[in-house]
Amino acid sequence: MSDVPLKNPGWAGNTGEFDLTEEEVRGEDFIGERPLHGGHSSVSATMPYMLIEKNPEAELFEGEYQERLKKILTRYPKKRAALLPVLSMVQELRGHVSPESMDRVAELLDLSPAYVRGVATFYTMYNKRPVGRHLVQVCTNISCNLCGADEVLAAFLECTSTELGETSEDGDFTVIEAECLAACGFPTCVQINSRYFENVTPADIPKIVEHLRAQVKKGD
Amino acid sequence: MAYPYVSDVEVRVISKYFGDPAHRRIDTYVERGGYKALEKALTLEPDGVTDEIKASGLRGRGGAGFPTGIKWSFMPKEPTRPHYLLCNADESEPGTFKDRELMRWDPHQLIEGCLIGAYAIRAQHVYIYCRGEFFEVNQILARAVEDAYMKGYAGEDILGTGTTIDITIHQGAGAYICGEETGLMSSLEGDRGEPRVKPPFPAAVGVFGMPSTINNVETLAAVPHIVLNGGEWYRQWGTEKSPGTKLFCVSGHVRKPGNYELPLGFPLIDLIENVCGGIRDGNQLKAVIPGGSSVPLINAEDARKCELDYEGCVEVGTMLGCASVIVMDHKADIVKQIRRMVDFYAHESCGQCTPCREGSAWTARILRRIEEGQGTEEDLDTLMGMTEQMVGTTICVLSDSVAAPVQSSINKFRGDYLELIRRGEQAGVA
Ligand SMILES: Cc1cc2nc3c(=O)[nH]c(=O)nc-3n(C[C@H](O)[C@H](O)[C@H](O)COP(=O)(O)O)c2cc1C
Ligand code: SF4
Ligand code: FES
Repeated sequence: MSDVPLKNPGWAGNTGEFDLTEEEVRGEDFIGERPLHGGHSSVSATMPYMLIEKNPEAELFEGEYQERLKKILTRYPKKRAALLPVLSMVQELRGHVSPESMDRVAELLDLSPAYVRGVATFYTMYNKRPVGRHLVQVCTNISCNLCGADEVLAAFLECTSTELGETSEDGDFTVIEAECLAACGFPTCVQINSRYFENVTPADIPKIVEHLRAQVKKGD
Repeated sequence: MAYPYVSDVEVRVISKYFGDPAHRRIDTYVERGGYKALEKALTLEPDGVTDEIKASGLRGRGGAGFPTGIKWSFMPKEPTRPHYLLCNADESEPGTFKDRELMRWDPHQLIEGCLIGAYAIRAQHVYIYCRGEFFEVNQILARAVEDAYMKGYAGEDILGTGTTIDITIHQGAGAYICGEETGLMSSLEGDRGEPRVKPPFPAAVGVFGMPSTINNVETLAAVPHIVLNGGEWYRQWGTEKSPGTKLFCVSGHVRKPGNYELPLGFPLIDLIENVCGGIRDGNQLKAVIPGGSSVPLINAEDARKCELDYEGCVEVGTMLGCASVIVMDHKADIVKQIRRMVDFYAHESCGQCTPCREGSAWTARILRRIEEGQGTEEDLDTLMGMTEQMVGTTICVLSDSVAAPVQSSINKFRGDYLELIRRGEQAGVA
């Protein structure tokens, strides 16, 4: 992870009457680094990372990832139940879930490729095609919308010079609309890779985009 | 310790430590009396625990408000097959943001509630189905579960009592419908999150075909407090039929949005005007959705009469739902917001039932037409007629959730629709 902390100019807590740092609100010092092997088997089905650099050719289920996979499989009475966590692992490594990856997963879990495709396409978090290094998801649902989410979305598109759903030429950004992210009291909420940005206003966006660009340059 | 706002009229039972980062650590949690309720529960018979929850009158906080103790008592008493407790942490109802706060500020409170609930229903495994987008929350919860295992509160032979309860966090992958209880079960089994026809009910045939109980995060978070202090203690707040405290997630056009824990039965207008500092920019109140996007919207007049409990909301023609209070001022564009909500449902419909799949898509299209100034007055009748057929005709109630905002907005704010239609007509003539 970066040693340049990614500051949110309008994070969840900078409204209100309190004196916590952003790290304290996010629980960063409590979480620390999560091991790639997934930690205790009870929690190995939670994705630790959404990586900035995606490698569509990455080897699947090797080394620590294989260890994680083994742990996940111990937690369910039926192998098929591991399908969502396994697809998530694929996406963590490769950035999206390609037809070829789905076939690998099908083989691994003794399922038909058509079945895996049917499931993978049901869930919005699985990217069916490659996305930018930063996937920017702007909530435009009711609570955020009442507080100006449409303008936030427009400002992100402008600032990253992209069209909705398209990836910028340099491969840094894909901006999409999201449904309610369960942070409605801190509008507008924007999810960028695995992190939430809250209380985002159009004025904040150049600064956020600049931070994200700096992260890519650092090769994080 | 205020995060982000607090009010002195709050009764903070489950939100007491919101805004205190130290509370995530297991040592702090235990120092402050954490896991005492689990210890106590394990000295009782499972049915004794269920009885205490029944006595408290606690009702499910996931939206339907079904009494939790009664739900638990549906589980078979002599387990011949594995039982499962499912914690519904898929929070995605627009306007709702309480479970995320409960998990990130007080993960052990939820874990303790899950362990007690599992013991009461004789389950040896709890799955916490946590919304996929919650990476940060998942990591906080993961650390807390690991710590609970390390200190012997979870896993084999808990606290030397011979009881075994495992916890597994399962991360979703983005689908609102997985919050519906049988949709969640399908999803947990590695399938598309498609709801199932009931009966059979989950207590008979649940996840993996086994008896299962499903509870919301907030419901389970209240459990340790009730077990420790007794059911009667919980009844000191709230009303006879809706006892206890509840988190109200207030969003929209108020000065101080956020989560406030208040006794059930609290007056809605008091919440908006006093607790939340009133409408922002000195504007006027226009409409409120008191329970998340799936419940009917009410106008300012009804809002002034509304008491926030399960019965009080019904009296003014709406529902408490998950107590997600969305406030709109007089500048809010009702038609646009309703259209945005229906777009959401059309997107999230799993597609199994024709009235829901087709109905939500068509409703969204007609609403957009009206919004763009191309609607007619007959469109309103079409909308009313069509949404009527979407109620009570489908596998799950997502379909009904489309009808609620559409019908209530046409009934209460017909003028807003007509204005758009007239403006469109005039522009067409000119
Ligand atoms: C479409 C739909 C979505 C739902 N989403 C959620 C949700 O995200 N979280 C939740 O706890 N309950 C949700 N529910 C309610 C659950 O079906 C179920 O009633 C609840 O989890 C039971 O827990 P409780 O008795 O503790 O409230 C949803 C219901 C429907 C019909
Ligand atoms: S009502 Fe809609 S969401 Fe529910 S099962 Fe039917 S199609 Fe799926
Ligand atoms: S409406 Fe945007 S986070 Fe809920």
